[in-house]
Formats: sequence, structure tokens, C-alpha cells
Amino acid sequence: MSDYTVVGQKVPRVDAIEKVTGTAQYGADVHPAGMLYGKIVRSKHAHANILSIDTSEAEKLPGVRAIVTQADVQSGRRVFATDKVLYLGEPLAAVAATDADIAEEAAELVHIEYEVLPVVQDVMEAIKPSAPRLHGDATKDGPNRRGIAAQIRKLSRDKETDHGDELRALEAALEKYPDEVYYNISAESHSEAGDVEQGFADSDIVVEDTYVIPRVHQTYMEPHVSVASADSSGKVTVWASTQGPFAIRSGIAGTLGIPLTQVNVIGTTMGGGFGGRFGVIITHVPAVLLSQKTGRPVRVQMTREEEFLDGRPAPGCVIKLKTGATNDGRILARQALAFWDSGSVSGASIGSTIRVRGVYKIPNLKVDAYGVHTNKSGTAAYRAPGAPQAIFAGESQLDEIARRIGMDTVEFRLKNMREEGDEVPAGGSEPRVGYKETLQAVADAAGWWGREKDENQGWGVAVGDWTNGCGPGGVYVSVHEDGSVRIFHGSMDITGTDTSISQIIAEILTVPYENVTITRGDTDSAPYSTGSGGSVVTFTMGNTAKLAAEDTHRRILELASERLNANVDNLELREGAVHIITADPPKSISLGELAAYSLSTTGGPIVGKGSFARQPSTPALAAQIAKVEVDPGTGRTRVLKLVASQDVGFAINPMTVEGQIEGGTVQGYAWAMMEEMQYNEAGNVNPGFVDYRVPTSADLPTVESVIVEVPAPNGPYGAKGVGEPPITPTLATMANAVCDAVGIRVNELPIKPEKVVNALRSNGH
Amino acid sequence: MKSFEFFEPTTLAEASRLFAAEHAQLLAGGTDLVIGMKARTETPQSVISLQKIAGLAGITRYGGGVSIGAMTKVRDIEVSDEIRNGYTALAEGAAEIGSIQIRNLATLGGNIAHASPAADTVAALLALDAQVDIAGANGERSVPIDALFTGPGQTVLTPGEIITRFRLPSPASGSHYIKHKIREVMDLAFIGVAAAVDMADGTITGARIGLAAVAPTPIRAMEAEGLLAGKSLTDALLAEVGEAAAAACSPISDLRCSAEHRREMVDVLTRRTVQEAVARAQV
Repeated sequence: MSDYTVVGQKVPRVDAIEKVTGTAQYGADVHPAGMLYGKIVRSKHAHANILSIDTSEAEKLPGVRAIVTQADVQSGRRVFATDKVLYLGEPLAAVAATDADIAEEAAELVHIEYEVLPVVQDVMEAIKPSAPRLHGDATKDGPNRRGIAAQIRKLSRDKETDHGDELRALEAALEKYPDEVYYNISAESHSEAGDVEQGFADSDIVVEDTYVIPRVHQTYMEPHVSVASADSSGKVTVWASTQGPFAIRSGIAGTLGIPLTQVNVIGTTMGGGFGGRFGVIITHVPAVLLSQKTGRPVRVQMTREEEFLDGRPAPGCVIKLKTGATNDGRILARQALAFWDSGSVSGASIGSTIRVRGVYKIPNLKVDAYGVHTNKSGTAAYRAPGAPQAIFAGESQLDEIARRIGMDTVEFRLKNMREEGDEVPAGGSEPRVGYKETLQAVADAAGWWGREKDENQGWGVAVGDWTNGCGPGGVYVSVHEDGSVRIFHGSMDITGTDTSISQIIAEILTVPYENVTITRGDTDSAPYSTGSGGSVVTFTMGNTAKLAAEDTHRRILELASERLNANVDNLELREGAVHIITADPPKSISLGELAAYSLSTTGGPIVGKGSFARQPSTPALAAQIAKVEVDPGTGRTRVLKLVASQDVGFAINPMTVEGQIEGGTVQGYAWAMMEEMQYNEAGNVNPGFVDYRVPTSADLPTVESVIVEVPAPNGPYGAKGVGEPPITPTLATMANAVCDAVGIRVNELPIKPEKVVNALRSNGH
Repeated sequence: MKSFEFFEPTTLAEASRLFAAEHAQLLAGGTDLVIGMKARTETPQSVISLQKIAGLAGITRYGGGVSIGAMTKVRDIEVSDEIRNGYTALAEGAAEIGSIQIRNLATLGGNIAHASPAADTVAALLALDAQVDIAGANGERSVPIDALFTGPGQTVLTPGEIITRFRLPSPASGSHYIKHKIREVMDLAFIGVAAAVDMADGTITGARIGLAAVAPTPIRAMEAEGLLAGKSLTDALLAEVGEAAAAACSPISDLRCSAEHRREMVDVLTRRTVQEAVARAQV
């Protein structure tokens, strides 16, 4: 479709060989001379007062070099718990020793005296007055009480009129909602458009359900690891497995009160992140503290168990959702009340509840969301944070409405989808989007319109929307005397982004992709770069790379003009050489010759730079169709077919884009069917891969990817961020397919065999 | 991992003597032990490897049946023609353990001596009527597999006793193992059911059913077995057999699933395994 020669091509990834041969350097491969091994001492209770922490016995163990507690944090910023722990595995101290076994032994010898407190793990219990309080007694009002309280405040402010009767009536109305006084609330978020009550009144059908989505872990392959080395001048170097070295730099500097540029963060090859690899405290700060205290490099590496106990997974939530529609398939109103399990600190992505609006014209929308404290670790981003949860509720309920009014579920969605210029409920209007194209593409590819099924088989469809983020970045480009091009930047490669950046620069400088190499600097050397998350990298760094290549291109023509004695307007860079357009016989100079020439000029070597921060992004849709077969005897579901389409704007590398679509879809499948962090009074009870199941390749057929390209005006070559959208619809896709197969709707994930068997039995099977 | 003493004896007698010490553990494939040691849930003071003792591995004919050395790799059992043809349920059970990498390390003896009620080979060994040979300080003895287990992680083995081999009688006419799980591969058994039947002229002359992960120890479903003897298979009979097997178990509820679900799956999967074992017997 395009005239491009490098972008849009399935070129091999720049890191393919090092990944395949095992030579890539991960955090655990870093081993400076004299390195000590750190281990974090963790709470053995999910909720307890700390009466004492006694490190004396551990200190006596031969090989122990240092133990740090909160008392060692001179800035006073909270790194370790001191008087209270709020979840199993919460850090209380850290030890450094000459080998890993001694460090483990020492961690066990730190004696903690606990006074155990009551535990709450269920959000619907945590909001009740009977629940233990994690952070004090403050309460928040539920949606009805909020509205009434707002009216009371408004009338009370009006001193000119006597509103006594009205106020008394409102006070009485408040009394009608005693259950709407919520405890343990960490945050709230509210939005509204139109009038939902009117919308429901005008509807022919109103469906109301409660959806329960579990907390899941990002389960990146590489557990968190950092190696920190503090030298005698106070300079701190940290090798960190992170998505955002610059965020870690400012995080360490801020937490420990170190000047920003006295911290150098070296990002090591990332063994997966998915949004969960931005935390500062997790291993990086303890490693720095231990290194500062011992004067030696210290590695702190989490085990898989520690990842489950003290990682920052995706929040679970309970979403009460209500949707009204007409019998001819128009959605009139939707209302959501969501409780997000934020764990011991705030931070769950409660704002994503708004995504229940989907990509549909919904004239009346009301969303109330609350973050709720429970005795779990805090949460963080996971691939389109909050969207899979909200979209599971939204797309399951749409499916249910379509079923009840007897309309094809794809047609129902197409009928209600927004197009360019349509109002986005509670959020502006749509730019040029490819919602309908993307859904149609997956329906066509999956054979939806002529679909067939045997007994106990079913088809499910769902869509999910997401918009990539954006952030600052800088890129340098150098052209060398052999004609090769070197890129230098500070962004972490996340599933092929360095490859895309290299393709863009090769394209603009008209050199073979193989002649472009890319180097990632540390935070001391590289220009600032935003973290590699939020689907930002190809959008941000792609734009930055494009600017840097264009700057380089200008310098190349300038030099060539000087060298060839020709006007710049009469020059063209193609196939790695600058040509005089009108010369006869042809006259040109190669990039290598120009680079060599540049060294003896006044202007100097060929260096280009690009710097970029922000441009509006464009929403992208992922649409998926699954065909499944359910075994009604055992409740097990087998996926027969899984097709995923996605509007990627423009696929700079279709191979890595397909990889993202497949990976996201599989993670969505896993969340729907098996993944679930389980908790009880003790804390997380499945902190390992035996009872926290992630799928293997044996569980799924090959995901069939369908690339749709509706260009984003501000993306490089029209590209949109591709990493996050594909996980968003899969949860509902699976639930909808199971429902089509055996007629039962599982609204509480994961769809485990036991739930299917029980639902079938209560349906009379 | 805590430090420990490591021994590599070359004779059973020496291994048995070392193993009789307190806080001693045997190392066969290491796929349970080493993980436990790394997690510090196992903290042996001495570890006695069985690797250097000759004659503990291998599948050989023995009378009309076979003998499987305790140190035989699970993967060797899975791919053995002898086992696949004559003792299919055992090959199927072996194939359910972990990954191929794990199965290339794990041994049949380890899988059984670990005495997990959920072990993947145990239901098949019960259905196939295995005899367990044991060596110890007081010489050798042999117990039927259904008399080996006394509780979760517990067996009749006394200090110093080591399982040396499993003897299986001549093949049943047909056998089958089904594991209830969520993930297709590399999952632990929610429950496991194995059935072996002997057939003559379309009539079941004998049947054995082994159940895993449904009681504190792996068990036989004796009443269900009795229902099958001397009969031809019908849907009504299968239903009775499933119910009888379900009645034989005493499952627990845990984070994997409820006791009710386990019991219900015993019913469903016993019917399926018996049906398949009979179908295989008639080929």
C-alpha cells in the first residue's frame, strides 16, 4: 500500500540474536566485584501492629554485612513499615550478606513481635462499618447520598431564602441510604452525562448485573531485581530492571534525598513489564540503602513468591452495571457503580470505570467509582490499566441485551458505535476512528456471518478501546564514515520498540535497516525519555526518531551541497547517497563519503537530534471473536478459534504488531479463564505458578491477527500505540462465547470449570 | 537453601543406613525436594542421592508383567511401548506430570514416595494393581500400592526404607487415566481417576478404579469396582459406578476447588474412564 521500503516491513527485531542465544544482559546477570546479596524481611501477617523489630540475632550471623530498617532512611520517607503492617509480605527491613543463603537465613533471624489485627480482603466487606479500618475512620458517600448532600450544601449556602422544609426533606432522604456510607475508601471518581433515570425510563429493556473481576499479576518472566552501588562520593549507580529508568532515578533521588544527578540508573534488558515495572521502592531503594550502609554493591532480587506477595498487580473490582436499550437495539442509558480493590495504598485505576461507555453512542451515562482499602499489597498498571475490568462488564452486558432483544451481537454493536464527530459520553467528540472497520474486519476474518456450531459450542465477540499515552523523549543520530547510522537514546526497549525506531531512521536516511544500530544510554548519558508503558514508545519515540532523522537529513544535504557544489534544493537523498537531481551524467556522493568528509569540515560530524513531548493521540479499537467448546460434564472450556483485529493506525513492523496482538489476547484469555490472586485472612494464598495459573501454548490455538490501519494524524506514519488495546476485549469475548455455547453467563471471573458446572446445574442440566 | 550434607552411596544398604538418620532426605529426581529446599519448607540435614546405585532404573519384563525400577524417569515410562500398550493408564498418568523437562528428571519412585494424594501416577498404579518393593535395614519386603499410604505425605515406610521397584501383573484388557485440571498441561490434579478392566466376551471379569486427590491418601473405589464385575457395560451401570466412586471419597475444599466439585468430578470422570477402559479392552 505504501512506497516505504523499511517501515511497514516485517524486519527481524534488533534484539533477536541476543534474546535467542541467551546473551542479553538481564538484571540478575549484573555482578560487580564485591557484590553482596540483599534480602527483604517481610511481614508474616496481613494486618498487625508491630510491637518490636529485633535485628540483633541476625546481625551476629557470620557473613551478614548490614541490616537496614526505616531508621536508616534519613529522608524520613516511608520505605519500611514501622508500627503497623497492612498486608502479608510488607517490607519491614532488609539485610545484606556475602551470599544469598546467608541473607535468607538472616532475614529469618530478624525477630518481629506482632499484635495481630482483624483482616479484610473483600471490597464489599471493607466498605461496611463493621470492617477493620486500615487508614482511619473517614467515610465517603455513595452515589445517592452524594447527590443529596450536594443539594444540601447548595441550599445551605443560600442565606437569602429559608430552605428549612427542603433541607429537612433532604436530610430525611439521606436516611434512606444508610448502606451508602462507605468506609476504607482510598479514592473516588465520578462522571455524568445526560440523565440516566430518564434514559432507563425510556428503555424497553433494562439489564442490571454485578461483575466481579479478580486481582491478577502481570507475571512478567523476570522478577524485580536491582543492583545498587554507592561510592564514597555519594554517587549512586543502580542497574535496574525497569520500564522507566528516569522515573526510577527521580524516585530514588526523591525518596532518599539524593541530588538527582548523583543517581545514575542503568536499565537492564527487561524480562517483561506490562506496566508493573515502574515501582521505585520495590527493590531499588532497599538495594541503595544497603549499598550506602556497606559501601559495597548489593543485589536485591525478588523470588516469584515475593512477586506475588509484594508486587504491584492489577486491581480486582466489583462493578454493578445497569444498561437500558430499546427493542430495536439503541442503547439509551448506562450506569456503573464500581468498587476497586486498591489494597493497602491508593492507586487503583478507578478512573478507568468510565470505559464502560465503550465506543457507543450512549446519551445518558453515570459512573461512580471508589477505590477501597484491603489487606493486600498496592496495585499498579497492567496493560491498559482498568480497561479490561470495565470493558468486561460493559461488553458482557451488551451481549446480554442483544441476546434478549434477539439481535445479532455484532450488528447491535455496529448500530451503536460512534463515528467521527459523534459525542463521546462525558468526554468531547470523536476524531477519525476505525471502530466499525475493525469490528467488521474481525467478523469477516472469523467467518462470523456464516458461522456454524455443534452442540456445546459457541461464538463470542467483544470490542475494547484504548488510547495510547504520550511523553517526552530525545534521540541522537550519528552517521559514520562507513555509511552506517547509530541511534542513541534512553528509552527501554519494550517488545520491539527499538526495532521500530531503527526502521523509521533507516527509512528517512534511505539506508538498509541492517546498517542502523541502536544504543540505549543510562540516565547519566542519554536525553530524558518517558517510561516504556502506556503504549507510548512507538508513538513518542517514533516521532522523536523521525525528528532526529529529519534533522540528520538536513545536515546531510547541507554537507552534500558544500561538497558537490550544488544548491540544496537540487539534491535528493536516496538509497544511501545524495544525488544531484538534474546532473547529467548523474553525480552523487554516498553517506559514508559524506561522513568522512564531514570530519574535516568547519561544521563537523553528522549528528542529528530529535526532541518531542506531546501531541494528541487517537483512540484505537481491538475487536475479537472466539469460538469455544464447553464440556458440560467437567465445565472445562476449549478454545477452537480466536481471531483478533486491531486498528493500529499504521503497522511500522507488522510482525511485532502481531506479536503484541497475540500476547495481549492471550493475557486477556488468561484473566478470563484461569488467573486469579486468591486471598484469605492470612493474605495471598497462591503466591506461585502452581496455583496461580498462566496458560501455556497448549491451551490456545494460534491467535489469528487482523491488522486494520486507520491512520492517527499525529502518529509516526500514522501509527497508534499497539501494546495495550488487545487485552481489553478478551475477558468479555470469552464470557460471551461460553454463554453462547451453554447458555450460562459467568459474571465472576475467572470462568473456572467449577463455576460452569455449578451454573449449568442450577440451570437444570 | 540451608546447608546440608550430601551423600552419594553406591549400594542400597549404605543408602538405607544413611537414610535412617534423623532429618535425612532421599534425592531421586529432585523435582519436589529441591524446590522445597529452595523454599526452605524442606530443611534436611543430609541429602542422600540414589543416582549412583546401580539397578534402580529401567523397565523390564517380570513374569507375565513388568518391573519398573524406582529411579526410572517418568518420561521413560511415558514413552515406553511396553507401558503404553499394556499399562496405558500409567503412561497417561506419567504424561500428565509437569513439563517434559520435569519428566526427564522426575522418577516414579519419587512421585510415589512423596505420597502426595494428587500424584499423577498413583491412580494408575492403584488401578493396575502395582506391588511396591522396599529395601531396608531389615531386608526387603513388598506391599501392595493400596497399603502404602497412611496420610498426606505419609507412608508405611519406616526410617531407612527405600522403594526399589514397582511390579505390575500381566496387563489388564484396557486401562485409562483422566485428570481434572484447568490448564491443559503442567497443572496439578484437581482430581485423578484411573480405571483398568479385564474383559472376556464382552463381559467385565474384573475392574479396578484408583482415585487421586479426593481423600487424605490415594484410594481404590472398591464398591464401584464390585458393581462392574461380571457385567456388560450399560449407561445405567456407568451411572451407578460413578455414584459409588463419588461416595467412596472424602475430598476437601481448598483454594483449587470445593469438596462438592471434587466429588461431582469423581462421578463424571469415573464414568468416562471406565467407559474408555472398556472401549480399549474391546479393540
